[in-house]
Amino acid sequence: MAGSMKDIKLRIKSVESTMQITKAMELVASSKMRRAKERVEHSRPYFETLYKTLTEIAAADPRARNPYLRRSEIKRTLLVVIAGDRGLAGGYNANVLKLAAQESGNVEVLPIGKRSAEYFVHHEAELFTQEVLLAADISVGQCFQLARQITEGYRKGEFDAVKLCYTRFDSMMTQTAVSIEVLPLAMEPTEQQKAEARRSQILYKPSSEEVFSAIIPEYVAGVVYGAVCESVASELAARRTAMDAATKNAGEMIDHLNLYYNRARQAAITQEITEIVAGAEN
Amino acid sequence: MTTFHLTVVTPDGCAFEGQAERIVCRAIDGDIAILAKHGDYCTALGMGEAHIVDADGQRRRAACMGGLLSVLDGDVRLVATTWEWAEDIDQARAEASKKRAEEILARKNLNDREYELAQARLKRALVRTSIR
Repeated sequence: MAGSMKDIKLRIKSVESTMQITKAMELVASSKMRRAKERVEHSRPYFETLYKTLTEIAAADPRARNPYLRRSEIKRTLLVVIAGDRGLAGGYNANVLKLAAQESGNVEVLPIGKRSAEYFVHHEAELFTQEVLLAADISVGQCFQLARQITEGYRKGEFDAVKLCYTRFDSMMTQTAVSIEVLPLAMEPTEQQKAEARRSQILYKPSSEEVFSAIIPEYVAGVVYGAVCESVASELAARRTAMDAATKNAGEMIDHLNLYYNRARQAAITQEITEIVAGAEN
Repeated sequence: MTTFHLTVVTPDGCAFEGQAERIVCRAIDGDIAILAKHGDYCTALGMGEAHIVDADGQRRRAACMGGLLSVLDGDVRLVATTWEWAEDIDQARAEASKKRAEEILARKNLNDREYELAQARLKRALVRTSIR
């Protein structure tokens, strides 16, 4: 009996220290979360205005010649996959990587985040760059550099479409892995045809081609940056939720173990008394 | 004077939203000014000084770098890569950045990329220091 009591005691200690770690991780995630959420809220108007303006222009002037229009056939796709740098965030990494893995055909991958890079190296996917970009500390400047490389590759015909897989930050409790098409520009002429007739008089200075080739890298950078902001916030929210659950589970486990411990202790005492009483009777 | 609705957004947040009388900024092919009732228009922005005259006639200066400006149905949107109000610019930092860029450019053994980066840095610093 004494042996099992010691075992239980040790078990409780180990669960307690695990609980301390999960608790600390939860606190770190929630304090970082606040900043990340602010960043998402600040970058959203930029992201949305940029996207809205561009699609409006594209819809208003479908004849505008630019090198980013839809190509007749898509032979090769560049997949930008944004995941976290660390694990222990529930299904966060797995969800977005699973979504990315569904992308079939001839695919080249640009991973952002250590987990994403490790995954694609392990699965021997073709990589766009060899350097590992960390999702947590990517800056606007880096996004612009990336966007320049992406648009250059697109213009050269190294790939005919660019897709972006990231995790959308819906709220503290829900994050959804989504995949969006970045290039070629999505145009909806059917829906916008009326508007188009009215708005075909947009004046482009110096020319629509030049405006487009200056704006597109900007647009790609904006989309990538926005997606990184969303993903980072999602990662922290997912980690917070996962760690919260882990802490709760650890607490429950400790309660159970305490119960077993007390039972074992009581059993030991009872046994001792029985032994003493038996001894006295003799 | 007649005003129009103007929105200035950057990746770091919304810099201006409201009625304005006039906006002047540098496009890729030179300075432009937009007044109320401008026709539909779209251009990409270069690097340079910009200013807004708001509904009260107050003139506010800023450094504006990259992005696009669009006018659709009288609604003006300026989507800038960076937009810094004159009072927010750290002149000492801009000077330091300018000096550093000049030092890098003075070196001989630069590859194209390094040269490009240093050039861009110098340009940004020059725009910032020119706004006082």
